[in-house]
Amino acid sequence: MAQKLPNIHKDALAPIDMVRYSGASGDFNEIHTVPKVARQKGLKEPIAHGMLLMGWAAEAIEEWLPDRKLAKFTVRFIGMAHAGEAFVIEGMLTTDTTGELQIKDASGTGKLMGSFELI
Amino acid sequence: MEQEFHYAPFRVEAGKVREFARALGLQNPVYFDRQAALDAGYRDIPAPPTYTTVIDFWNERDFYQLFSQWGLDPNDMLHGEQSFEYGEDIISGDVITAKAVLTDQFDKKDKRFYQFETTYRNQNCEVVRIGRATLIERREQHGAEIAEHS
Repeated sequence: MAQKLPNIHKDALAPIDMVRYSGASGDFNEIHTVPKVARQKGLKEPIAHGMLLMGWAAEAIEEWLPDRKLAKFTVRFIGMAHAGEAFVIEGMLTTDTTGELQIKDASGTGKLMGSFELI
Repeated sequence: MEQEFHYAPFRVEAGKVREFARALGLQNPVYFDRQAALDAGYRDIPAPPTYTTVIDFWNERDFYQLFSQWGLDPNDMLHGEQSFEYGEDIISGDVITAKAVLTDQFDKKDKRFYQFETTYRNQNCEVVRIGRATLIERREQHGAEIAEHS
């Protein structure tokens, strides 16, 4: 009874989106917003907060299943996301109360894999 | 091994929920409009599913103090996994207390992993969320390898 959920497309991430999420969440780790610090830490450029992607994933579940509520939600951050990348969220309802989702960039590289359980 | 960290009690405010929801680009009106929240059966504006980040970071005793207590540099840490179990809703006006416990720490492939569990309770002592996180400590020498991976 697995049921594919419609893909959700996200616009290209802008550096200001990471700044805005830093301010709203309070996660001011500089590897997300300050290119010099990101480079010092061995990254080629700032990386998006994992929790920014998890927030999008949670919204995707709300959009797919507006009348349901989350009981559990688990994600693995499998790749770093950067400014300039656009994303697609793919999801699947595996049973009446469980599902899986992924966030990928335009080239199909995975950024987040998750599973959820609904009440 | 068990190390505990207590966050300060944190009041959930509708304006902060709105700001957080906007930063994520959320569309659901319950996060922005009290009447929409009431119509949806909430007693006030609810917090989005990943809102506990705000409780961790915008706190008098915050996540950076937890890192400092555990001897970690925040800019060396990557988030590997995150899970939430949902109990009662978190609603604007609630005062949330939270306790984090370091549940495991191990080395794998030259990286150090930290697992911890945070239990969030509301003013009625009801569990609203249990968060479980895996953080990965990158040391300088791992930089090139991780940059390649990305």
